[in-house]
Amino acid sequence: MTLKAITRSVAIAALLGATALTMPAIAQAQSTITGGFDVGPGGFQGNFNPLAATGGLTWLSVYFEPLVIYNAELTALQGSLASEWTVSEDLREITFTLAEETWHDGEAFTSADVKFTLELAKNAATGSVFSARLNSISSIEAPDDRTVVLKLSAPDSGLLSTLSQVMILPQHALADIAPEAIATSTWWATSPIGTGPFKFTQYVTDQYVELAADEDYRLGRPVTDRVINRYFDNSAAAVSALRAGEIDFTYVESDDAKTFDGSADFRVIEGASFVVNYVGFNHMVDLWDDVRVRQAFMYAIDRDAIIESLYGGAATAANCGYIAPQLVPSDIEPYAYDPEKARALLAEAGWAEINGDKPITWLTYYNTPLAANVMAAAQAMLAQVGINVVPRVVDTPTYNGIVYKEGNPDWNAFPLVYAGLQNGPNPAGINVGLNESQLPPNGANIMRVQSRPLSAAFDAALGETDAAQADARWQNVCRVMNEELPWATMWVANRYGVASNDLVDFVWTPAPAGGPFASHPEKWAKSE
Amino acid sequence: MTTFITRRLAIGLVMLLALSVLVFILLRLAPGDPIDAYVNPTSPLSPEAMQALRERLGLDAPLPVQYFGWLRTAITGDLGYSIQRVGVPVLPLVMERIGPTLLLMAAGLIIAIVVGVAGGIISAVRRNSPTDIGFSVVAFIGISSPAFLTALLGLYFFSVQLRWAPSGGMLTPGMGFSMSDLLAHLILPACLLSIGHAALIMRYMRASLLEVLNQDYVRTARAKGVREFFVIVKHAVRNALLPVITLIGSTIGIAVGGAIFIESVFNWPGMGLLLVNAVETRDYPVIMGATLVIGACVIVVNLLTDITYAAVDPRIQVA
Amino acid sequence: MSAATRVATPRKTSKGPWLRAWERFRSNGAALAGLAILVPILIAVSSYPLWWPYAPNDIDLRALNQAPGAVHWFGTDGVGRDILARLLQGGRISLTVAIVSVAISIVIGFLVGAIASFGGKVVDNGVMRLVDLAMTLPPVIFLLVLASIAGTGVMPTIVVISLLSWPVLSRMVRARLMELRERDFVVAARGMGASMPHLLFRHGLPNCIDILVVYATLQIANAILLEAGLSFLGLGIAPPEASWGNMLNAARSTIVLEQYVWQWMFPGGALVLTVLAINFLGDGLRDAFDPRSDLN
Repeated sequence: MTLKAITRSVAIAALLGATALTMPAIAQAQSTITGGFDVGPGGFQGNFNPLAATGGLTWLSVYFEPLVIYNAELTALQGSLASEWTVSEDLREITFTLAEETWHDGEAFTSADVKFTLELAKNAATGSVFSARLNSISSIEAPDDRTVVLKLSAPDSGLLSTLSQVMILPQHALADIAPEAIATSTWWATSPIGTGPFKFTQYVTDQYVELAADEDYRLGRPVTDRVINRYFDNSAAAVSALRAGEIDFTYVESDDAKTFDGSADFRVIEGASFVVNYVGFNHMVDLWDDVRVRQAFMYAIDRDAIIESLYGGAATAANCGYIAPQLVPSDIEPYAYDPEKARALLAEAGWAEINGDKPITWLTYYNTPLAANVMAAAQAMLAQVGINVVPRVVDTPTYNGIVYKEGNPDWNAFPLVYAGLQNGPNPAGINVGLNESQLPPNGANIMRVQSRPLSAAFDAALGETDAAQADARWQNVCRVMNEELPWATMWVANRYGVASNDLVDFVWTPAPAGGPFASHPEKWAKSE
Repeated sequence: MTTFITRRLAIGLVMLLALSVLVFILLRLAPGDPIDAYVNPTSPLSPEAMQALRERLGLDAPLPVQYFGWLRTAITGDLGYSIQRVGVPVLPLVMERIGPTLLLMAAGLIIAIVVGVAGGIISAVRRNSPTDIGFSVVAFIGISSPAFLTALLGLYFFSVQLRWAPSGGMLTPGMGFSMSDLLAHLILPACLLSIGHAALIMRYMRASLLEVLNQDYVRTARAKGVREFFVIVKHAVRNALLPVITLIGSTIGIAVGGAIFIESVFNWPGMGLLLVNAVETRDYPVIMGATLVIGACVIVVNLLTDITYAAVDPRIQVA
Repeated sequence: MSAATRVATPRKTSKGPWLRAWERFRSNGAALAGLAILVPILIAVSSYPLWWPYAPNDIDLRALNQAPGAVHWFGTDGVGRDILARLLQGGRISLTVAIVSVAISIVIGFLVGAIASFGGKVVDNGVMRLVDLAMTLPPVIFLLVLASIAGTGVMPTIVVISLLSWPVLSRMVRARLMELRERDFVVAARGMGASMPHLLFRHGLPNCIDILVVYATLQIANAILLEAGLSFLGLGIAPPEASWGNMLNAARSTIVLEQYVWQWMFPGGALVLTVLAINFLGDGLRDAFDPRSDLN
């Protein structure tokens, strides 16, 4: 009983009575690639200001460019506007050599633009989301047109990774705007200029953004004449447009990805999300003081079964904050599914006295059908060992409003959460949610994890100046997480995009916040 | 008549003011603010950084200060900037959405009126015939179906499978404006939107026509030997339309607010979609601005309905 | 209540109004059909734990997305929960939400309308401007903002729906009672210093009971649709709790819409059928209470 069969019969019936609407003839002299580039968790529709970009970098990097950028596998940084860079011995100085490039309006791109941009990004008054992360930069120097030198107040292993998200902006276009007014400037959505392979032509509010090829791009004139980013209210609408042949690419939910399996017209692109999902224990609530209770969560939830049946195998169980092989020691506890052990641990910890079968709110901002199914499964598994959790799904602002509440948050509103945190490509990503030094208001340690050994492990890894030792330091973080269980770590799931088979040399990966990564839009082509 | 309109407009202004206070308070009661909506929990900002963003937007000021600040600029016609779409002023944003919404609503309503009135007349004239019963059952099913389900199914059948109509949006991106393109995008959502209204209008038309057909002047006309067709068209339908006009009038007022379900499924760039997004992201200036514009439209349309009603029915005197 | 009815309506030598209404109702085929559909649904929904072996929240990871068959009559969903059990539990929730919210909105609507009409000109003006305000507020905004304040779940959804639907009713009640206000027996009662509750419940209520019954019935149908719409927007009843609205929400996913048809078709069918039956019933009741319908 599939809808296709029903559709066919309805279609025949309808054709007898009605005349089909003729679609407007598509007369396009120019080659155009249309996609839902800002659909899904990595996208940020309607944001044109890279300084405010908490997402949407896949699209922004089609017409803007950062100094350095991740490769398409997100394994290493490579040059973008900086053709090369060197880091000094003591890690306190980074020197960039800039590529020859012109802005889309023909002006030359120089080191003054880089200095200008980084100063804007460091200035909180501009509404920059990077200001805190660029704190370690003490001075920015531009000794000549093609060289930029950053001096750091302390070694910062995450700095280059942060810089990969800072899009370089034209000083000659923005210098006249006061920093406070820059966020509300109409320049971003009407006449922005960048250095990327495509240049901005127009934005039709809330419908689409159109870019045209930059004829003198340094890596060659783009193959395609136009790239259009169409906006969608939700990924289901984007999937409909993709299947109706109106767009060539979009992010899709993993359930929808299955409907494209084996299709001759589409290619499914799969990649790690770099987001570790966890069951977070609120450490201000005394339910979780005993590590045996936290261990019981790990043993009670059959992660392999959930991954196998609900994720269709497209996720990797996480026994600490990481799953990348070089970051995970081989000898950590795998917490294989063992409900008997979970019951025994709870009995030892005296769970009956701590809480018994009273309901515990399990807060989440994940509102996808898949997440609802996963939480329902976990709820049932926890109930088997005597832990009564009740999922509560709220929207993101409500979730943030609860967990970030200033002053005296209501701990009982979020004794337990289901959430995710970016754990890569830079492993320092989870520091912000676990280190004691990141307790609000300094950081986003919203579950108020206060573990001395864990904080020490993070600090050691962040301060490691020897690149060869870094992995071992992060392995130590993983080991401590695995023992202390500040969270019950669940898995890292895969994410999907679907591209039409007409697209040639199209590169996309589901990077957190949209990357950016070296997608080389100038090579994208569409065969008709 | 003039004093009536002046008084109603004055009351309308007071209502708008009260409306803005009400929505302002309601918005602040909702959990989470624009900055909370802005932060992705998987790559979080520190509360310090969030506080800095709040200060920049003036969201940390005491509520009365915020409200009167908004009111002071709103009176001059400046409704501020959208927080979610950085740098986009609210008034043009909202105005831009009224057109598409009214277009969709008008198209839907016209289809609904044509189908509904015609169906209602046929039903009433052939009362209790199989046609009438068939029409009534279809109308009832139309009234009883959730709008989003018919929208989803319509989208799936006609766009994804049959490819008769585009799957969403108002114009093909990058094609420039063309009437045929607009109509191709419009027809499917408009038809799906009209289902509920058509069913309701059909029911009203049928009931009202049946009542009129029983009245003396119609009987007199019949007795005088006027042909049944003329009886219905000239005497009955005109009078039976009154309650239907009231119904349509009340629909128009609400129509400016948009059809959230159809707009959301078809990605139609109208008021409903704007509001759903604005509420999801707690975009205070957009919600306040849209409320004001929609509220003003509702007040004006209600006034116009009353005047039209008076024009159609001389028995009603506006005082 | 029957005593009150007699006060309000002139005595007739023939059958009482309730009896005549019942006779009219009985001769209305559609209304009876509505009743015939509704009663079995209500019985099934309220008694299902007694005769159906599966519970609505029992998951089975070995039986995901199974098509309807001998074991699971209506198939299973994405975590292997029995669709029939969820359908029945969802019906319980959806109907409870609808009935309770309509009950609340009727109490509010009646009280506001009646107080406006009995309370004198100043009260009337004040109250009716309030109602106008509530009706000028774009329902979309009211719905969305209210729902985000209240959050998701059964109680918040009830609150949202009941706050959304009372203004229309209060207008109808006021319109009916305004005529009554000037009638002799009410003027007399007020002259004798009758209290507000006395006026409301001895004179007001009996005279608009027919509006209330008809409105309640039709509004329950609307409330079911509204709950479904709210859940579709992610604002109504949140999973894992079942409701017809959030079961239908699964149809947003292409794979469910296309390949797991049973996951949305059964709740969709149940919802449309129930709303249809209630609408038939409401229409029948309206005709039954309308004395003019004898003429037709």
